[in-house]
Amino acid sequence: MIGLLLAATPALPLDEAGKYVAGAYIVFLVLIVIYVAIMASKLQRMEKELRDLASFAEQGRAGTPGREAEDVPIDVEAQPAAVSDRNLTPSEAAAGRPDHARGSADE
Amino acid sequence: MYGKGLRPLSIATVVAILTSFSLVFFYAPLDADQGFIQKIFYLHVPLAIVALIGFIVGGVFAIFHLRSGNRRWDAYSYVSIHMSVIFGVAVLITGAIWAKASWGHWWVWDEPTLVSFLIVFLMYATYYPFRYAIEDPERQARYASVFAVTAGAFVPLNFMAVRMAQSLVHPRTFGTANGGLPGEMMFTFLVCFVAVALLWVTLVKLELTAKSTSGQLKRLRRALDAPAQGGASRIAPEVS
Repeated sequence: MIGLLLAATPALPLDEAGKYVAGAYIVFLVLIVIYVAIMASKLQRMEKELRDLASFAEQGRAGTPGREAEDVPIDVEAQPAAVSDRNLTPSEAAAGRPDHARGSADE
Repeated sequence: MYGKGLRPLSIATVVAILTSFSLVFFYAPLDADQGFIQKIFYLHVPLAIVALIGFIVGGVFAIFHLRSGNRRWDAYSYVSIHMSVIFGVAVLITGAIWAKASWGHWWVWDEPTLVSFLIVFLMYATYYPFRYAIEDPERQARYASVFAVTAGAFVPLNFMAVRMAQSLVHPRTFGTANGGLPGEMMFTFLVCFVAVALLWVTLVKLELTAKSTSGQLKRLRRALDAPAQGGASRIAPEVS
């Protein structure tokens, strides 16, 4: 396709003017690339901050006073899902919730 | 919320830019007067028009902010001006390259078109220190909006004054007395203009999405940090 396009078009006069035209278009592309790179570094910082916040939130839940009493294994079948979720840490909830309960939550 | 529709918009922008560049180099005829160097025009002029319109759009958003007091409009105004300043850098560089190739000089000080654009650009370059010199967020947003409205009103006035002035060497893109561009050139120019405008909108949306996400993160940090008030923060210090 590109070959056909190039064959059908006249040769570009890449003489003295060619380097200026190339320079202008390259400047434009470089500016876009620099902008995208800056945005990518911002995104990385936000990702790191979000990770910190997520780990802090998990630590906060694990370190809540009175948690020791709740660390006793809970029969998730015997309680409503909302109550069992509140009493479990995220990892416990992920590991301990029965498959059918997880399936209904996803629905 | 700001990120909604960003993906299709980005794809449309990439397609538009690739199409416009293809038209520039493989479809638009060579200019009889300037030759190949005229190809810079398809990039330089749309960038300049979109940058100037972006400054005006920033002023319009600032009016909305001043009328409603809603900080969202201030964010729109800030991002519009920010993106137009970036486009302004591209305009000045591509214009200088064209001037060097065409006139033999990177810059001509007695040309009103060049100097007026530089004045507009430098005026908006002062927007950042002006804005961030004010610490109180409410006052910062209000003063920045007043600046954006005033400067935004200056842009069309400046453009009209330059248009009416006697141009020394800078070509008039859309001739008024000697006819406009030929059909193929005009079509290519319009596609380039749409592509650059799409790029501006996409980057504005991307910037707004990043700012909104960053703001949400700060809110989350404050909410999670609240129980630890009175002592040292339990979370790692905010990444600047």
